[in-house]
Amino acid sequence: MDSVRKNKLAIFLFIFPAALLFTAIIILPIFMSSYYSLLKWDGINKGVFIGLKNYMDLFTSKSVGFPKTIGNALILAVLSVFIQLPISLGLALLLSKGVKGERFFVSVFFIPVLISTVVIGQLWMKIYNPDYGIVNVALRAMGLDHLAKPWLGNQKTALLSVFIPILWQYVGYHMLLMYAGIKSISPEFREAAKIDGATEWQIARHIIIPILKPVIKISVIFAVTGSLKAFDLIYVLTNGGPAHASEVPSTLMVSMIFDRNLYGLGSAIAIFIIFLCFFFAITIQKFFKAEVD
Amino acid sequence: MKKKILSLLLCIMMAASLAVGCGAKQENTQTNETNTETSNSSTSNGSTEEITLTLWSIATESDAFHPAYTKAIADFEAANPGVKIVHETFENQSYKTKIKSAVAANELPDIFYTWGGGFSKPFVESGKVLPLDDYFGAYQDELPEAALTNVRFDGKLYGATYTTPLSAVFYNKKIFEENGLQVPTNWDEFIAVCKTLKEKGITPIGISAKDTWVIAMTHDNLVLKSAGPEKVAAALTKSGQTYNDPDFIAASAKLRELIDLGVYPEGAAGLSNDEASAMFYNGDVAMFITGSWMAGSLQTDPENPEDFDVFQFPAVGGNGKATDFMGGATDSFMVNASTPHKDIAAKAAFELAKSISKYAYLDGAGIAAWKIDYDDSSVNPITKKIANFASEATSFTIWYDTLMEAEDAGEYLALLQELYMGNISPEEFAEAMANQLEQ
Amino acid sequence: MENSLTAKLKSTITYTILIIWALINLFPLYWMFTFSLKDNREIFGENVIGLPRNWLWSNYTAALTTGNMGLYFINSIIVTGLTIVFTTVFALMASYALNRLIWKGRDLVNSIFMLGLTVPIHAAILPIFIILRNLKMTNSYQALIVPYTAFALAMAILICSGFIQNIPKELEESACIDGAGVFGIFFRIILPLMKPALSTIAIFTFLQAWNELMFAVIFISDSKFRTLSVGIQTLSGSYTTDWGPIGAALVIATFPTMIAYSFMSKKIQQSLMAGAIKG
Repeated sequence: MDSVRKNKLAIFLFIFPAALLFTAIIILPIFMSSYYSLLKWDGINKGVFIGLKNYMDLFTSKSVGFPKTIGNALILAVLSVFIQLPISLGLALLLSKGVKGERFFVSVFFIPVLISTVVIGQLWMKIYNPDYGIVNVALRAMGLDHLAKPWLGNQKTALLSVFIPILWQYVGYHMLLMYAGIKSISPEFREAAKIDGATEWQIARHIIIPILKPVIKISVIFAVTGSLKAFDLIYVLTNGGPAHASEVPSTLMVSMIFDRNLYGLGSAIAIFIIFLCFFFAITIQKFFKAEVD
Repeated sequence: MKKKILSLLLCIMMAASLAVGCGAKQENTQTNETNTETSNSSTSNGSTEEITLTLWSIATESDAFHPAYTKAIADFEAANPGVKIVHETFENQSYKTKIKSAVAANELPDIFYTWGGGFSKPFVESGKVLPLDDYFGAYQDELPEAALTNVRFDGKLYGATYTTPLSAVFYNKKIFEENGLQVPTNWDEFIAVCKTLKEKGITPIGISAKDTWVIAMTHDNLVLKSAGPEKVAAALTKSGQTYNDPDFIAASAKLRELIDLGVYPEGAAGLSNDEASAMFYNGDVAMFITGSWMAGSLQTDPENPEDFDVFQFPAVGGNGKATDFMGGATDSFMVNASTPHKDIAAKAAFELAKSISKYAYLDGAGIAAWKIDYDDSSVNPITKKIANFASEATSFTIWYDTLMEAEDAGEYLALLQELYMGNISPEEFAEAMANQLEQ
Repeated sequence: MENSLTAKLKSTITYTILIIWALINLFPLYWMFTFSLKDNREIFGENVIGLPRNWLWSNYTAALTTGNMGLYFINSIIVTGLTIVFTTVFALMASYALNRLIWKGRDLVNSIFMLGLTVPIHAAILPIFIILRNLKMTNSYQALIVPYTAFALAMAILICSGFIQNIPKELEESACIDGAGVFGIFFRIILPLMKPALSTIAIFTFLQAWNELMFAVIFISDSKFRTLSVGIQTLSGSYTTDWGPIGAALVIATFPTMIAYSFMSKKIQQSLMAGAIKG
């Protein structure tokens, strides 16, 4: 068997296409960006080499405000691992138990992922609108006028208000991954456990979740890297505002690169995002490996 | 292990040399590399009969300028047999990213739409834009010099402009009449109008502080009309005038005054321009301060377009006059310096600009930048009124975020939002701007 | 008796949760559809969530007749379709090599592939643009298929690996004893068992490629190759936007997504139900 598994030709053929594409489109741009991050460069004319100054600016310049964006992204990551993923897992478990209309529910729960961010963004702008927004109208109808707020226009509520749609939209995404994973577990396990008198909860806790670990690992990695790179909905809903209240690394990066022509500084942010994502992705993998052993 | 490190090093070196190569190449490639891709005509160079020019713009089919573009292109093609113009349109926001990337990667089309002032300055500095002075002679009498200030860099002309938008105060006539209000002619009257409206329970002015350029529309005016055009230009283009000056501070304080009076809708910091202007069209707010393009939308979006009118932003005190206007020609066509068809492309840039100026004005889409030598009686009254403001203007100052270089403009808009939210005081605002500009 | 009562209560709660969540998730669909039949006045304030007062089917005419929507639609299908094919094929091959074949540097390469999840696309635009230009690839379908595939690979490999790890090694070993080579094992044992992974990858790749905007705007200038997401974007003007036709275009763009998804999700479930994989 091992000699079969060490077939050099097979290894090369199998890995080559992916590796080639990956080198050209992912690895090379990372190197180029790291070089750009050492320049004072407007993205067009000749850049001036300034060493690590951009990185220093990230952490010392008050007007850049980078550390806060990292904090915001980490909040999103924590919320998505500890709130979004459990909801997804719960729904996946409920559905895989075999409820009536299982297929219908699986499809419906995935709908928000299918709909373009433009629509989701417009919809939530309507939900949060201070005048006719659904949230405020509902609050006023319940006599809770004092709780009605300009959700996206208030520095205290903006951050959470943009995170909620992001968390909501991708519940279905993780649910589908987990659901597919659970469904690939043989039903015999469940049956056997049931005969032994295990409750639903025990089955989930001691049989399904352990087998599901590889899938949960993938979900956690996607959730964390996705949070650190979050951009689209925030851009549509607040564009990082008001006054940077909902700024995340990606919105800051885009505004540096494309609005302010600070390509070098923007690249430094990009490299930092790459580093953080990579660090977390590897750590999560290690963590799950340690769990398995 | 050693092998691994070695190969990794090799990898990095290769990548680095590639990256450096790209940076350095930019200077010498532009001359010898005649962008085979940007000019579709290069294949037919042998015959030289059919020339195809590619034009990029933001006049998407839904844009108010689109019909004018289409007519102008048809006119040009008819007058210049053998020349075809391929018009590719892109959405405004993503076009900004696209055009910057295209300049950086040498992928410009023959003619491209761009904004004058600080936005195009790096393009011009890169040498990738063709100077148009040699071609301007034929049009000198029709295109006033005042419309070209934002497309001149180091004395050379780089763009052909076609419209002169300016900002003004749009208002709901019906609301004004119902509350016995007159059009204010100075700052105190303006404040009095706001107060009266406020007392009657009407939100006086609509604004979006999320799309920061909308706050800038008001703040730019306040600064201009309290500091005067010379001082503003000197401060923003870093020519020996600090931003940390009583006139500038007073202007920012006036914005705070408006905010503290409660003239703006609650939560405007979370509203987009689309949402905020919809409030104005629906009659929920009495006034809206923005560019002349709103005149076009006022014909289609509100239920009763005749309820609306416009007045000029009043003088605020200090050096400013009411007839000093925010605005000016900035939308322009530039020509790729490495196009193989320089002469015809430059000619097209001017001819198209000239026709679009006319057609767009007649459509009510924008104020003409070129001389008007045709009958304009059919133009809608609000657009016409603004055109009159323009003809009586004592000076034009382009929006500050266009005038300043991108880096300063970005900081200006970000600080404005902070000022709007009350996180910084007018003094701190002026000081931060001064620091940014002196960097 | 009591048991059946708690069971009933339990299932009532289950269904209540499921139905409420389903309604919350169906709402955007309803909203998008009604939005596509309204004018700006209704969309901004007058009638935000109600049914349209006048059903403006003209929004659909406007969306369909603007630019060359039919062509953009076909371009999107070509680009997305090929992206899915390349991504799944390359990811299957790579993840087999990364999980089951034995070679030096495997773990390192595995980690490097994770880098694909980390790159923020806006920072990659200019570098990729320059690379594509040097390869003479801008303004073509490849200009999008190549980067889309590269960006989808990391995710696809992760998902594939998750599934491959669940395939018992004994299956391969017995095939090996029967005299199958590495290619035989891959095509006859592994591929058939990977069907559920295929549909999952296809769905996620589809979403990425179908909705992508920035690459599509920057790398494609010739409207012959323009994709639907960019086409829809051009429905907005620079200062004023008629949102109704945009809503209509988005409904049209979402339609194939729904069909593709319901088709795939059926596939996922069928292949799962077949119970080919004994965990």
